[in-house]
Amino acid sequence: MRLRNLPRALALSWALAVASGASAAPPSPVTEVTLDNGLRVLVLEDHRNPIVTVQTWYRVGARNEVPGKTGLAHFLEHLMFKGTPTHGKGQFARVVEQNGGQDNAFTSHDITSYYVNIAADRVDMVLGLEADRMRHLHLDPKEIESERQVVMEERRTRTEDDPDGYLSEEFLAAAYKAHPYGWPVIGWMEDIARITPPELRAFYDRYYQPNNAILVIVGDVEARRIVRRVREVFGRIPRAPAPPPMQAVEPPQPGERRVLVRKTDARSPIVYIGFHVPNYQSPDAPALEVLSSILQDGRASRLYRRLVYERRMALSVGGDYSYLSFDPNLFWFSGTPLPGQTPEALEQGMMDEIERVKSEPVPEEELDRAKNQIEAAFIWRQDSIHSRASTLARFELARSWRDSESFVPLIRQVTAADLQRVARAYFQIDRRTVGVLLPGAAPAAPK
Amino acid sequence: MRLFLATVCMTLWMLAATSLEAIPLAHREVLDNGAVLLVAERPAIPIVVIRLSVRAGAAFDPPDAGGLANLTADLLTRGTAKRTGPELDRAIEFVGGSLEGEAGHDGATISLSVLKKDLALGLDLLAEVLLQPAFPPAELARRSEDIAAYILRSEQDPGAVASRAIAELLYPGHPYRRPVPGTAESVRRITREQVAAFHRDNYRPDGAVISVVGDVTVDEIRRGLMGRLGGWSPPGAARPDIPMAPSSPPVDHRRITRALTQATVSLGRPAIRQDHPDYFPLVVANYILGGGSASRLYSRVREERGLAYSVYSFVSPARHGPAYFVGLQTRLDAVDEAVGLVKAEMARLGREPVTARELEQAKSYLIGSYPLRTDTSGKMAGLLAAIEENQLGLDWPDRFKAGVARVTAADVARVAAIYLDPATFSSVTVGK
Repeated sequence: MRLRNLPRALALSWALAVASGASAAPPSPVTEVTLDNGLRVLVLEDHRNPIVTVQTWYRVGARNEVPGKTGLAHFLEHLMFKGTPTHGKGQFARVVEQNGGQDNAFTSHDITSYYVNIAADRVDMVLGLEADRMRHLHLDPKEIESERQVVMEERRTRTEDDPDGYLSEEFLAAAYKAHPYGWPVIGWMEDIARITPPELRAFYDRYYQPNNAILVIVGDVEARRIVRRVREVFGRIPRAPAPPPMQAVEPPQPGERRVLVRKTDARSPIVYIGFHVPNYQSPDAPALEVLSSILQDGRASRLYRRLVYERRMALSVGGDYSYLSFDPNLFWFSGTPLPGQTPEALEQGMMDEIERVKSEPVPEEELDRAKNQIEAAFIWRQDSIHSRASTLARFELARSWRDSESFVPLIRQVTAADLQRVARAYFQIDRRTVGVLLPGAAPAAPK
Repeated sequence: MRLFLATVCMTLWMLAATSLEAIPLAHREVLDNGAVLLVAERPAIPIVVIRLSVRAGAAFDPPDAGGLANLTADLLTRGTAKRTGPELDRAIEFVGGSLEGEAGHDGATISLSVLKKDLALGLDLLAEVLLQPAFPPAELARRSEDIAAYILRSEQDPGAVASRAIAELLYPGHPYRRPVPGTAESVRRITREQVAAFHRDNYRPDGAVISVVGDVTVDEIRRGLMGRLGGWSPPGAARPDIPMAPSSPPVDHRRITRALTQATVSLGRPAIRQDHPDYFPLVVANYILGGGSASRLYSRVREERGLAYSVYSFVSPARHGPAYFVGLQTRLDAVDEAVGLVKAEMARLGREPVTARELEQAKSYLIGSYPLRTDTSGKMAGLLAAIEENQLGLDWPDRFKAGVARVTAADVARVAAIYLDPATFSSVTVGK
């Protein structure tokens, strides 16, 4: 992320929004085109307001990094605002803001995304900017040095000084031994400090190519004209060699893993529990999505109702399942004990609820509620052109934007038996990683 | 638990930088009981957002009951004459909706989000929690314990710590000095009788604003509300007023030690509201100083020197204590350098006129970005409510645009010399 005021938990967050995304309203008249150079283009007309969102998504993230070079994708995201020969240093933000637009970007393990939201009549200008920085980034060593300091400040805010960020990093590192989902999107501090300009250049040249990107435009525009314009502006960029495939596969977990960390300035413990689960490519994914809702979506969800409300063990609980993750990810839960409660007791309380979905069928009312919540969240994502576009993009990046049309029907088909089956299959001790953060300094070593 | 100042400020800041299309912003009418109804019809997507606010914020907390307004708003959805808290949760979540009560400094808000097809249920629940909350003792015990725990936990968040501390410096002797949730001690002392009395006295329709955005017509929502809020009438007693915050509190600087790798710095001083003639020049000056990623602070402190990831400024036109804030986070050994740069830019803005290019760019952004400020139903409902609560009038967006367009470089320098003078700012540094 380039700007301030951004959501926390870079490492774990982006799939949540995905899980409840996409067009539930009338059949979406999406115009889809693939240019000769491989750039995939989706356009959706939405004439409610005179605005447009232009979103450029690259299939590159921390997932495409290697040890010693973690944080490259995110570092490069920052540098994408540093200018080209045509648009000098700082000009991107200036040109966009001068035209009344708002822009930002974010990086996840799977992707790097850039967006501009702006008055619809400025769309051509934005297309020009995005095409320019797709291939013509300056990457001036002097700019890289000052931005390196900025990224280090960002890491201090998000990880070093944030108990949740700190624990999530240690937790993921324990859960993954072979796959890049185990290192933080922002990268290790040592790598951020070391990465060289030539490494950034090589990474840029490999991944910032039309055949590794999708362009999604939603708003008060005419699709035919936009497609013509996109062909003119982006069509000149040559196709590049396909980026190398990411080959790491996380081996099955041979047994439970536990990690304990301490943070001097933390004021309460935190407990994370995660299980390795499949993604959208598995027929079990819709049931996992529903299960996530049943367990942790809202005050009527099981974890809240039982652990916060009834048993008074937790101050807060949460969790997530990454339906559209490129590779199999974690189904994870988090909890903060109420003062006076121990993390051990809360962990046991969380496990009690996880065991209960294995041993007892979920009642019909709860199942319907979860499905209704998922469907409603999906419809709410139609409210803004920005979320409409990112929903299309996320389904398209995983497989196809058309999957967004079958998402709710698939959720609707899930049965109580499915929930019990997937809970038994995946919520096993051997697939479990537990992370605990304790406030305060470590106790003195025994003599 | 949100850091309270940031919540207040962000809402008002959105307002500050917002304008609207020439089409009427919304339908407005005053209901028989004195509540103001605002409706913006957005029929394309089958959803409805309702935001009902009353003047029942923390500024009305008795001195020995900090957190009373917050706890009262929180408990609205924890049980009514007809349903228990868990029954309310199940009812609204069964239809994928949400219903929340929340307090700020000035007001308390009940927010409802539902699909159009579930609007009748949503309105039933909204009316119940507004008019017939039961405040069950067991729920009060739970929530006061939770809130106290959140307050203690927020001590690990340097942003929250800095916000609380700067409020203490800016608002001596004024209700805005106190955090909306109260303190861990004060919230635990609150009794059910205090909550019930606070609700009775302050949840009144005179001064209430009901802002509705989504797939409804004015007639439909008026009928739906009147049918359910018929018995809601103003009590005889006059409403207490919130005093204005002191206009020139003593400048003070505070350091708070924490075991962190980065320092969080907050600078603040009193400022002005939208009704002040200097307001638009200040909005423009602020944008040039630290309003976006083309701003001077962003360029100098972040882009050129790499000293911060987060550096910004904003006008907070809070109704009873408008203020101006500048903030940044930087590594511990760079605090003096970063703060020095920030103060130099603040002073320069009052000394040298801004360039014509900077001025034009600021105006273009502030005027041109307005349709983006209402690109979701929730943002639109928030804007309508803020316009009404601050008595700006539904033509505010047009006046905002016109006001910004008139600002000259001399205006910017003149207001910057007053409101951005670094010597007039109090500061808080959370770190080592």
